[in-house]
Amino acid sequence: MRNPWAQTGNYRTSYEQDTTIFANYREIVSVGLLLVALCILPMFLERSQVLVLNFILIYAIAVLGLNITTGYAGLISVGQAAFMGVGAYTVALSAPHLPFWLTIPLGGLTAAILGFIVGIPSLRVKHLYLALATLAFQEIFVWVVGRSPALAQGAAIPVEMRNFLGLEIGFRNHNYFWYYIILFVLVLMVIAWRNLLRGKYGRALIAVRDNDRAADAMGMDPGRTKLFAFALGALYGGVAGGLLAYMQRAVVVEEFTLGRSVALLAMAIVGGLGTVVGSLLGPAFIEFLRLYMERLSEWMKSNAFIQSITPAGVDVASALLPLSFGLVIVLFLIFEPRGLYNWWRLLRSYFRTWPFRY
Amino acid sequence: MIDFVQNLISGIAVGCIYALAALGFVLVYKSSRVINFSNGQFIAIGAFLAYALAVWAKLPVLLAALLSMLLTAGLGFLVERVFLRRMVGQPIISVIMVTIGLASVLDGLMYLTPFGSGNFTFPQFLPQGGLNLGGLSVSYPQLLAIGFTAIFLLLFGWFFQRSVLGVSMRAVADDQLASMSVGVSVQRVFALAWAVAGLTAAAAGIVVGAVSGLNQDGLIAIGLAVFPAVILGGLDSVPGAVVGGIIIGILQSFSTAYLDGLFSQIGLVGGGSQYVMPFVVLLVMLWFKPHGLFGTEEIERV
Repeated sequence: MRNPWAQTGNYRTSYEQDTTIFANYREIVSVGLLLVALCILPMFLERSQVLVLNFILIYAIAVLGLNITTGYAGLISVGQAAFMGVGAYTVALSAPHLPFWLTIPLGGLTAAILGFIVGIPSLRVKHLYLALATLAFQEIFVWVVGRSPALAQGAAIPVEMRNFLGLEIGFRNHNYFWYYIILFVLVLMVIAWRNLLRGKYGRALIAVRDNDRAADAMGMDPGRTKLFAFALGALYGGVAGGLLAYMQRAVVVEEFTLGRSVALLAMAIVGGLGTVVGSLLGPAFIEFLRLYMERLSEWMKSNAFIQSITPAGVDVASALLPLSFGLVIVLFLIFEPRGLYNWWRLLRSYFRTWPFRY
Repeated sequence: MIDFVQNLISGIAVGCIYALAALGFVLVYKSSRVINFSNGQFIAIGAFLAYALAVWAKLPVLLAALLSMLLTAGLGFLVERVFLRRMVGQPIISVIMVTIGLASVLDGLMYLTPFGSGNFTFPQFLPQGGLNLGGLSVSYPQLLAIGFTAIFLLLFGWFFQRSVLGVSMRAVADDQLASMSVGVSVQRVFALAWAVAGLTAAAAGIVVGAVSGLNQDGLIAIGLAVFPAVILGGLDSVPGAVVGGIIIGILQSFSTAYLDGLFSQIGLVGGGSQYVMPFVVLLVMLWFKPHGLFGTEEIERV
């Protein structure tokens, strides 16, 4: 009899085995350990460090959505930040009237409806055109918000939540409280993601992405499959945006611009398209990159020597961010198109097969 | 009525800029099916190079313009050589994402120069004022935009109809495999398409410089407005790019004149509808006629 703990690979003989969430017991244990680690992590961290973690987890939710549209359905979306914005503004407008466990799903739903409308061209045309539809939506969203007095014309709208079930949420525990809420939502979203994509629907998406004509011939409806993927990806974006609104206690349009959409796309690519692990690693990588680039530019601003050698009018600090983002996207696409997920996979298989090479 | 014609003319002049930028974009799309998201950055680089050559190196404006067009063409060639040639055989999504990453890199590089912030104006090389045609006034920069585009279109027409390179580019656009089998170097055609894209983008940037001031965000916004133009005209149609560009230009000019008031009546204050209308048109086109006015509908045979 096989020892399930010593299992080294996948030996699958049926469809049921192929659609299981965990390949072996070790994975169940490691996911459990990861969750416990994430739960106790904030106890060792400062308030500002928890804030960084919060951002990473929120972007992870948005990137999970992007991984449905771009990773699974193969539709490039340069509008995920706008869908986040739709969620955030829905929350900002409904927060005074509704509790947060209603406003956040509402934000997701609104984003999904808009995603559905934006994705309508996918019924007729292939993936390239969809990138332009999302670009148009992104631009229209920012313009409309900037022109609407009801949305403060893009300036900050406060989103207040002072207490939850008698628990006072103040300045001190705000980040910690939202950390656990975001973690909980993320876990829910990951479970939904896995369950949706491991079954019939996920396979249909892969089939449509890889060869839509063959998928059509086998009885799938490529247009409708893609449209649904689009709405779903937007829903994840909306939920992430809603959480962001609460976490920042305010909504500003600068959070939801084209640049942020590109950053989200970079996170998805760097992490590895179409994977859960990648959806966590990518945002972490890009956020830390952003953090260190910001520190570097602060340092450069304060360093007299660097100031003396840069010509007047040159803004090295604001150059660092787009430059590093762009380079990361291009270099990963050229040298490691499977992203950080692949490094993670190699690392794991190294330890699994140790002391042997393979 | 006179206002209407005046708006029409200034719209056509702006549209000519889009038409120029769209030409190179369509060429790249036609030959390699790559949607180039870094078009706006090419426009900005071309314009700033011309400015640097004319103002800092004190070259005559025409020479500076010509040189900057050639240099930007070289940049396009280099980009194809260094980044896009490695992506041959990769899924088309990755190739498009490379252009998105590239746009970000070029943005960052521009911030490293003094052009990253602030406004710049070309030295005055055209006489002040303009032609006066019975109440209508057409400024010299506007005439230049229209004339420049017309000359470019004639050159392009000649290039694609008569020259060997142009014909081979059309062949590759039509059928890559067939053109390879008759001895056309597909790689060279891709490189050339990117070089021409750089050239036309720089031309567009220079015209912007002549008509109004230069500013990085503004130039990149022109690159984004090229997308509505090409979708309107049909992604793979060269005449479509020109017509689409001009229509988008007219649309922008009319929305400033007639739509801003309308928008403020429905509660969208602040004007600036010329920035959003092209994207509304883009979305509506994708809903109802995704292949544009002149584009070929994809017919797939199994």
